[in-house]
Amino acid sequence: MMPTLREVQAAFAQSLLTGEPSGTLPYLVDDHEIAPADRMGVYRNTFVGTLVAALRITYPAIERLVGEKFFEGAATRFVRDHVPHAAHLNTYGGDFGDFLAGFAPAASLPYLPDVARLEWAVSSAANAPDALPLDPAALGSLSEADQGRIKFQPHPSVRIVHLAYDADRIRKAVIDKNEAEMAGLAPDATPFWLIAHRKDLDVVMRRLTDDEARFSQALMAGGQLDQILAPDGMEAQIALLGEHLATGRFAGYSLD
Amino acid sequence: MSPIPATAGIGLRFQHHRAVVETKPRVAWLEIHTENYMGGGIPLHFLEQARRDYPISMHGVGLSLGSGEGLDDAHLARTRALADRIEPGLISDHLSWSVNDGTYLADLLPLPLTEEALDVVCANVTRFQEAMSRQVLVENPSSYLRYGHSTIPEWEFMAAVANRTGCGILCDVNNIFVSASNHGWDALTYLDALPAKAIGEIHLAGHSKRVLDNGAVIRIDDHGSDVIDEVWAIYAAAIERFGAVPSLIERDNNIPALESLVGEADHAAAILSRLGPAQHDAHAA
Repeated sequence: MMPTLREVQAAFAQSLLTGEPSGTLPYLVDDHEIAPADRMGVYRNTFVGTLVAALRITYPAIERLVGEKFFEGAATRFVRDHVPHAAHLNTYGGDFGDFLAGFAPAASLPYLPDVARLEWAVSSAANAPDALPLDPAALGSLSEADQGRIKFQPHPSVRIVHLAYDADRIRKAVIDKNEAEMAGLAPDATPFWLIAHRKDLDVVMRRLTDDEARFSQALMAGGQLDQILAPDGMEAQIALLGEHLATGRFAGYSLD
Repeated sequence: MSPIPATAGIGLRFQHHRAVVETKPRVAWLEIHTENYMGGGIPLHFLEQARRDYPISMHGVGLSLGSGEGLDDAHLARTRALADRIEPGLISDHLSWSVNDGTYLADLLPLPLTEEALDVVCANVTRFQEAMSRQVLVENPSSYLRYGHSTIPEWEFMAAVANRTGCGILCDVNNIFVSASNHGWDALTYLDALPAKAIGEIHLAGHSKRVLDNGAVIRIDDHGSDVIDEVWAIYAAAIERFGAVPSLIERDNNIPALESLVGEADHAAAILSRLGPAQHDAHAA
């Protein structure tokens, strides 16, 4: 009996994901000098190769740090357990940093997972939806009472990440191919916070202290301003709020 | 919307974003991979700039027109949103499938060519056209295997999809050559079966050859090298049959400098002007 399209596609998908073609072979023509398993192998190679190439675009610093061959091995291993659920592949591979943290062959490079997490933040900020930054002048006409009730909406590209091992310095030195800077780096395991967002055609970033990160996360989560401001650090918080506004980290606000 | 002129264009690739926008190379139109501009941000910014100077064709790889489970609403909506923003002269995708059970399989996978699959593809193409509110083009794929229960030759399948749905055909002459070589088909028989009036665009590309342990050769469509003479010959045969239609040389791997792409397009344009009296306008419904 003729298999249905759904049956064939389910079997083919299984073969592609596992690299084990036996479930599909009964459906294939075998009348030529090329064996059906070799024909399936072409698709398996393309499937893995396309996803590895997508990871290569998102994680250029990781590839330079570990070399092309090691990267390909790690990415191929990652692809085995992480399938994409959408065809726009710039959304694929966000877990690569977490994967590297548990990838035994990379254990001697403890900074690698955090460099990858930073690269994901940069990539997803670069590809985030567009929105006009909130014009600070729009807040000028608000009464003092209304200013306290403000809830900000973050620009879609804002990312706040918790990192360690000087991941930002390592990434910059690698991307800039600054060998002197690379040689001088002694990655420090001390954790730090970092905020990144897209400004014009670049993703810009800066480190945050623990207090700044807490305040910024509460703002970006849409918390009401007068409930977030802390009496003892208000001056610094207002200054940081001014920076967020001036550099375009908000896309809007509401008063409800 | 700027219609795509019946001459040669080039693919817009990330590596060339800045150069295209800043140097405005002398090419007639640009084609993008639809999925690369979903989301927003920096890629879309460059595309917005490029579309001021060039007609744009949107070529998708992820709609999975052959999926038995139907099309993904979210992917259709993203495609429509991009089309509304870019106002492309052409919108296309492939006769293939790439989604099963919600997993994206990152390749243009071959369909069993059966009456059931024809019904599925036609329903999906109709849905695609309704979602875009216009005609779309469907491209013939490269394939490396065939199914034992297929009953319809691929060239007849392509023609039937166009006849039943009113879609146009994006005729990829490299894909015809690759599949013909891998399956023992005749490339000109394939061309002859396609309805000339449905041809809205032609693709050319390079491909690679893999020699297996037994010495057999399998040709693989990887868009990573120059177009070979045999494929240029099929292109000339296509232009003689179909007239001058928009033509594009695809490069997705080993992407050369922008000037090289423009030079390749010039080569196609020369063949077009020599062999192809303008037969009909591009499908810019």
